[in-house]
Amino acid sequence: MTAPASVPAPAATAKAAASAAATPPPRPAGRWKPWLAFGVIAVITAVTLSPQLGIAFSLDAIARNWQNGAAKIVQLLQPDWSFFPRTIPPMLETLEMAVIATAVSTLIALPLSLWAARLTNPHWVGRGIVRVILNIVRAVPELLYAAILVAMVGVGALPGILALVLFNVGIIVKLVSEAIESNDAGPLEAARAAGGTQAQINRAVALPDVWPSFVNQVLYVLELNVRSGTVLGLVGAGGIGLLIDAVRTYFRYDQLSVIILEVLVVVILLELVSSAIRKRLV
Amino acid sequence: MTQHTAEVGAVASASAPWAIRMRDVSVRYPNGVVALKSISMDIEPGEMVSVVGLSGSGKSSLIRTINGLVPITSGQLTVGGHRLGEAKGRELRRLRGEVGMIFQGFNLAGRTSVLNNVLVGRLAHTPTWRTLLGLHTTADRQIAFDALERVGILAKAWDRASSLSGGQQQRVAIARALSQEPHLVLADEPVASLDPPTAHAVMRDLRRINTELGITVLTNLHLVDLAREYGTRLIGLRAGEVVYDGSVDDASDAVFEEIYGRSIRAEDVLDR
Repeated sequence: MTAPASVPAPAATAKAAASAAATPPPRPAGRWKPWLAFGVIAVITAVTLSPQLGIAFSLDAIARNWQNGAAKIVQLLQPDWSFFPRTIPPMLETLEMAVIATAVSTLIALPLSLWAARLTNPHWVGRGIVRVILNIVRAVPELLYAAILVAMVGVGALPGILALVLFNVGIIVKLVSEAIESNDAGPLEAARAAGGTQAQINRAVALPDVWPSFVNQVLYVLELNVRSGTVLGLVGAGGIGLLIDAVRTYFRYDQLSVIILEVLVVVILLELVSSAIRKRLV
Repeated sequence: MTQHTAEVGAVASASAPWAIRMRDVSVRYPNGVVALKSISMDIEPGEMVSVVGLSGSGKSSLIRTINGLVPITSGQLTVGGHRLGEAKGRELRRLRGEVGMIFQGFNLAGRTSVLNNVLVGRLAHTPTWRTLLGLHTTADRQIAFDALERVGILAKAWDRASSLSGGQQQRVAIARALSQEPHLVLADEPVASLDPPTAHAVMRDLRRINTELGITVLTNLHLVDLAREYGTRLIGLRAGEVVYDGSVDDASDAVFEEIYGRSIRAEDVLDR
């Protein structure tokens, strides 16, 4: 605990340590921090729940409208299977939008990913510009992009594809450039020592090492696109969302449930396929 | 300046080993650490030099100044007629293209083939568009195959680099350096990650590069017996200064103790 006044022989110290109860070092300060965090969260929750300051929600609505809700659930539980053939063309359109958007964003995101990572782009100015632009691009939700683009280029699949591309490039570049940063810098140094330009180094050495994680993110984005693609039609951006909007307007919940089940099946199938591909990536 | 470029052209056209001339070369890192203090030395074409010193003695910085991976702060450094410090961009890359480098950690791209790794040695001799499209010329491939043959692992050309053992990976790295058709080879602790028999095999490969191809070879080592066995000249570094420069034959244990600033221990030799 405290240093002895005179230094005893090593054997004596060991003996003393063995006989006396071990004194632990003082505990680190700051054990109150988790409690403080908990307290802050509790206060914020209380404030948002209060009618004067918060969003003033109450659970009354559920109690008041439960009969209405129950009727919808009953309708949803009785899918109108005869509606199924009409859902196929828009569902295919959604899938096509997802595939096209994934392909286009892959082509855009690959060079940008290399540009946004320190290892593959030592120039901080160019790197900073790419990162700032992509942070802004990522900040806007894809549904908002779709709504704006529908106003700009008209109703249809095109604004949906463009919205998905913007959304995808933001995600892929962020995740892949982080994967590049976690890679070993040694092979890149070797290629630099061999006299390669940065572009050559990136292509010959950085790309092979980051390829699996790149393919992984592309598959992930394809899954996301099928999911997001189903709702983009709600703002007029093509695909099955247009049909969802139509049946919802006519309160055809029996038809809506067919669409929901169909989306569920497609998403699960896609996940199975992509996880099978992922397993082959090393 | 014009005279200088003419000289560069003349040297680059001749496929002769390169000399290194250092005059008062100092290296100071941005964080204030002084790695090299006013080093002067001449390494003649075709020499096989072992640079020894403890870790932190500056030997890694020394070897990296020679191909410009570490910029010199002051002094003059001439490598095969190129003036380091002045060489930038394209000229620096051309210089690097003529200097092979071998690293302690092999530094291979693990997920691609051995052949692709060896072809990295051809980067400086390849237009960027060809590299981007992955279109290697038949001549470049042949150079790569020949380099793999020279280090005895041609059979592994199509294997994934990461599937090879440490010794095999270091031979791929040597083949990568050889495919540059270099005038000078730098090796930074090439055997520190290898077991003793493999270490000797790799050191023999380096010696063959020197004796059979006549290339100047500069090897950083911290093991006394390897430095003695494979070098002809020994340069001892301590705290960024040259404390010994002479024939390996004259380097007694006392010389190594002077370089290390302490007595020789069991960990300083490979074969105990």
